[in-house]
Amino acid sequence: MSARTLVGTGFLAIAAIALMLAGQLALLDPVENVTLNVTAPVQSVLRDVTDPLADWVNNVTDAGALSAENRRLRAENERLTNDLARLREQGIAGQQTAALDAVRAQFPEETFFAASVVGRDSSNLRQLIAIDAGRGDGVREGMIVVSEGRSLVGTITKVLDDYSWVMLITDPKSAVSAMVQESRAQGVVAGNYDGSLNMEFVGQGAAVKEGDFVITSGLGGGFPPGVTIGRVSDVETREQDLFQRVTVDRLASLSNLERVLVQTSFQPTTLETP
Amino acid sequence: MRYVAGALIAFLLAIVQASSVEQFHILGVTPNLMLVFLVSWLVVRGVDDALPMIGVSAVTLGLVGMQDPGLVLLAMVPLALLGLVREMHVIHSETLLVLALVASASAAYETVLLGGIVVSELGGDVLLGMRSLVVPAMIVNLALALPIYLPMRLARPAPRRGWLAG
Repeated sequence: MSARTLVGTGFLAIAAIALMLAGQLALLDPVENVTLNVTAPVQSVLRDVTDPLADWVNNVTDAGALSAENRRLRAENERLTNDLARLREQGIAGQQTAALDAVRAQFPEETFFAASVVGRDSSNLRQLIAIDAGRGDGVREGMIVVSEGRSLVGTITKVLDDYSWVMLITDPKSAVSAMVQESRAQGVVAGNYDGSLNMEFVGQGAAVKEGDFVITSGLGGGFPPGVTIGRVSDVETREQDLFQRVTVDRLASLSNLERVLVQTSFQPTTLETP
Repeated sequence: MRYVAGALIAFLLAIVQASSVEQFHILGVTPNLMLVFLVSWLVVRGVDDALPMIGVSAVTLGLVGMQDPGLVLLAMVPLALLGLVREMHVIHSETLLVLALVASASAAYETVLLGGIVVSELGGDVLLGMRSLVVPAMIVNLALALPIYLPMRLARPAPRRGWLAG
């Protein structure tokens, strides 16, 4: 290996570290905004061109699963399940005390901003999407993003002038305070590297069963309460464990999102220990 | 001139990777066309030709693919180091060399990105990440290796003969 190659490799390593520092200090944000503005039309065309081929390849490699039908059924299921969850939640809310009404009064009117998905994280590790709404549209970090069926999609993690990044609930860094609607058992819904969702910290004594609805609890102030996340698909209880292993099947179809709603009326709060 | 052409190819490759290739999900992962292309380029044209392309493609992919450009570049640095294997001539078959480098570079790339998440957030099940992402990525990228490498090898310019050559 020539000295020139070694110098070149060393330069790349130093440049990588410098870029990581610049990224941490948000120095690259204007460059990213300009790059996205310039390349977004090209990316959109390329995406449209390869979409049918990608659909076909994905169908074939998914052992013949019919993704279009699955998508339609999933959307319908999401709508119906949300209707059911909302009705149940209304019923429960109606029985609760005035204290809970006071909490609900903190969110008197929800407003949403509709945005299109313009990009996805190109790594296999993160679950992020880019949307065409940014600071100028009133989008702020921490706002929640829901699907058109009003199921939780994720949260805004980075805001540029014209674009924002949304961390999906399936991202390994995502953690959502949640509860099981039926038993009110609380926990944290976290993403995994394989795109699945787990509800963690659910105590052994909590009554959780397959098919139960999982909604946001509002604890911690990062998410408004009552937003549907999904349904319990599996519960594993082992005597030696402190917590149950609860797997959650998300309602929103995150792999083919095209449009999402940013809940601009919700501002997250950070609750600190007194 | 060849560096400018290489940089342009790398830029376009990163855009294709971020917009088109990311739509494909095989074994639960997205093929890394860009990485396979760069490995093939490295084997066919040499490390010195590949270095500027690695830099340009990593930064472009970071900017348009919603990743940290620095972390992507860091994940590509092992690819440059793997060029050492080519220079050492420990593997005589060029085809085998491409397959070995694609597998190693894919594993290194995904592992560095995985490490980036773990270090920054202490989050996620690392073993699950290795099993569900790193191994499938190696397999999927290996499947892409020959269809990309062979045409590149056929298109390789013939070596110039010196004036003293018989």
